[in-house]
Amino acid sequence: MPILEVQNIHKRFGRTEVLKGIDFSLEQGQVLSIIGSSGSGKTTLLRCITQLEQADRGRIIVSGRTVFDAGEALTLTKEEKRQRQLTFGMVFQSFHLFPQYNVLENVTLATRLHARELPDFSARKAEILSEIDREARELIASVGLSEKLKNYPCELSGGQQQRVAIARALAMKPQILCFDEPTSALDPELTGEVLSVIKSLANRHMTMIIVTHEMRFAREVSDQVLFMDGGHIRARGTPEEIFLHPEDPRLRDFLGSFQDRGL
Amino acid sequence: MSFWDVNVTLMKGLVVSVELFFLTLLFAIPLGLVICLGSMNGWRPLRFLAGRGRSGGARAVCGALGSFMPVRAVCRLVVWIIRGTPLMLQILVVYFGPGLMFHWPLLPRFTAALLTFVINYACYFSEIYRGGIQAIPRGQYEAGQVLGMTRAQTFFHVILLQLIKNVVPPMGNELITLVKDTALVRVISVYELIWMGESFIRKGFIWPLFYTGVFYLAFSGLLTLLLGWFEKKLSYFRA
Repeated sequence: MPILEVQNIHKRFGRTEVLKGIDFSLEQGQVLSIIGSSGSGKTTLLRCITQLEQADRGRIIVSGRTVFDAGEALTLTKEEKRQRQLTFGMVFQSFHLFPQYNVLENVTLATRLHARELPDFSARKAEILSEIDREARELIASVGLSEKLKNYPCELSGGQQQRVAIARALAMKPQILCFDEPTSALDPELTGEVLSVIKSLANRHMTMIIVTHEMRFAREVSDQVLFMDGGHIRARGTPEEIFLHPEDPRLRDFLGSFQDRGL
Repeated sequence: MSFWDVNVTLMKGLVVSVELFFLTLLFAIPLGLVICLGSMNGWRPLRFLAGRGRSGGARAVCGALGSFMPVRAVCRLVVWIIRGTPLMLQILVVYFGPGLMFHWPLLPRFTAALLTFVINYACYFSEIYRGGIQAIPRGQYEAGQVLGMTRAQTFFHVILLQLIKNVVPPMGNELITLVKDTALVRVISVYELIWMGESFIRKGFIWPLFYTGVFYLAFSGLLTLLLGWFEKKLSYFRA
């Protein structure tokens, strides 16, 4: 059974229909890359999956449990929505770290707030908080930033900020981690460090969805690739099928534009 | 009449000015927030904080407010009128207006002055807050949301401090202006600093009036130091 099933997602903004019926599924531990030109609907799809946008039609099922259903979206309480949102982690193009907190605090803030809801929080407060702290330090170490625990986001490079953002998303233990063009806001020499963190997550079988313009990276890291065009999935397949034997003419044009620039 | 006597008299005036200053802040800071929320009615991230998808009655109320654009129109109209007319004129209208129009008894002079100042400054503050709120990137709200924080948690743990940092410099400007604007209430004979200074003219001395400037300088100087300290406190991060 796939961990994620996305069924018939439609989304329009005003008169523009951005997503025109998107279906796909993803197996546990797999990495899915979504490619396509700007305005093809990639980011909107990701935002619908992570429920930052509400799709107009469609369903999203994770591990057999419906986490989004356009039909019932309005009847859900705030609390139910919040719990469902936690199925997914999200890493944004421009990081969105909390500027007033240092690296460690950025990673622990949400987990600490969540811990307050535990029934035995007041009884085991010290223990729970030290556990959160320990886990956060491990995560920060795993993205290679143990030296920067007490630094503020404004003191870090873009690549370092994005690695903190990944650690912050992982701290919530999401079942599926989503990346929205995680390296597009970075200087070219800083993309490598972020991509290698994502690769190491793939090696540890984290289920991930990555919207990206890094074709070589998508080819190396993905199990499955979707090519979006005009709100549809125009082509889908393994990296070999998409990058080495593209059949769809639009996909060929799209990939050609990268080859012309030597990417 | 000694230098000492002048200082004692001017001090009495200063107390009234300072009182007006602090009472204005006490009421205008929260009222400004109310006007700000009113004039931002329907703005998307605010709607997020105000709670779409609340249950039952709260949802109905929020929904009604959200679609009730007149709230916004009224708030913006009030802000336009208050910012678009002289404060001195407003003081006169508040003090004399109700009596002339409706034959109501006059308000006590200090109360009328305070009321005018609170309304006037709340309008200016509301625009400062609006700028401060709109300067916070939407990504901050979204980051809170994807991390499963509640709206209240996102506001208090993420947004608030950035908002405060954004508004401190422009608020500082307004506070300094307020120090000097207190002199305007002399127009309805509230015995504040300038009025006290002027009272010496009858006795043939003009210098005490000029000397009041030193008091204003000292007050605004203190305020500048305080604001500078606070800004520095918040300078450890870049919003």
